[in-house]
Amino acid sequence: MKRVFIVLGFITAILATILAVTPLSNLAIIPIIVAFLCGLVILFISRKQNTKPKSIQYIFILVIISLGLTIYKSVFNKPEIGDTEQLEQRAEENLEDSKEILEEIEIDEDF
Amino acid sequence: MKNHLVILLMVFCSIGFAQNNTIPIGEKLVYTATYNMSGILTNIAQVKMETSEVKTSKSSLLRLKCTAATYKKWDNFFKIRDLYESYVNPKTLTPYLYKRDISEGGYYKFMQYKYSHKSKTVQSLRKKKRKDGTIWETKKTVNVSPNTKDLVATLYSIRNLDIHKASPGDQQDFTVLFDNEETIVTIRYVSKESINTNIGRKECYKLAIAVKGSDVLQGNNSNLIWLTADQNKIPVYAKFKIPVGNGELKIESATGLKY
Repeated sequence: MKRVFIVLGFITAILATILAVTPLSNLAIIPIIVAFLCGLVILFISRKQNTKPKSIQYIFILVIISLGLTIYKSVFNKPEIGDTEQLEQRAEENLEDSKEILEEIEIDEDF
Repeated sequence: MKNHLVILLMVFCSIGFAQNNTIPIGEKLVYTATYNMSGILTNIAQVKMETSEVKTSKSSLLRLKCTAATYKKWDNFFKIRDLYESYVNPKTLTPYLYKRDISEGGYYKFMQYKYSHKSKTVQSLRKKKRKDGTIWETKKTVNVSPNTKDLVATLYSIRNLDIHKASPGDQQDFTVLFDNEETIVTIRYVSKESINTNIGRKECYKLAIAVKGSDVLQGNNSNLIWLTADQNKIPVYAKFKIPVGNGELKIESATGLKY
């Protein structure tokens, strides 16, 4: 039973850390919660068995790192627009082309 | 004779109804599009809606331009650089030319509609990029109904509706030409609501959008748009549900408004 939680805790903690590094940092919250809960369960079981497994520390360290990264990113990283030069160029080209087309089109003020 | 009079009256009413008294030249609306990822809303893209004047030798038209660009952090995953534009009559918002130039994660498509209102046809031009990078073109003439508009012109036309005269439950159908096919879009007035936005607390008209016979915008009352309950009727907030999830559109700034 304890082993299941250790494995699950590790997987979710590592997943949380990976997600926290990527732009998908918002998604890291779910594995962070799962890893944290797994850590608590392992801690509870260990206390009952009177053992001190190192795995709890590792899981909690990973949880703290990913939580810190996620919070930092959501607070300080303001969304920035990527390179729109190409889009602006396309808009400009389209405008020039549209002007030529509109010259050919019969524009009826009644419509 | 009686029938002719009725038709004439209807035409007159529809022209009167379609008068543009909301959208000015030089209006700029900026939005943030968010997408729901397992319960967490993430900012995905910036959407801009701009209007400007375009002059030809014979007349002057209103250019309605909508652009969408993903934020920098998403560009490596799925880069979106979309451009939608419609050239309309500034008085009636009747479209004459529509262009859709989209680039979404390596997928490129260009669509152009040239309207001929007298013959009730639209000359469409579609350009698509093949895998080897070459572009192929398809030309088609599509028969349309007299009130058919493109997506952009329809979006702006919604703002021209006399919502203040409507009561909850009232609805209006729009015929939208999309991908060479006419689709009926129903706009239903739900209620009046006050919501907090980035441009302050606004009293809004809450409208529900539904697409007949399509699963693009799914569900009943799942696709909603909030227009300010003033003369500008600017869309300040929208909620939408699509087959791959749901998202929101929130206003960031609004400049160049008429009132």
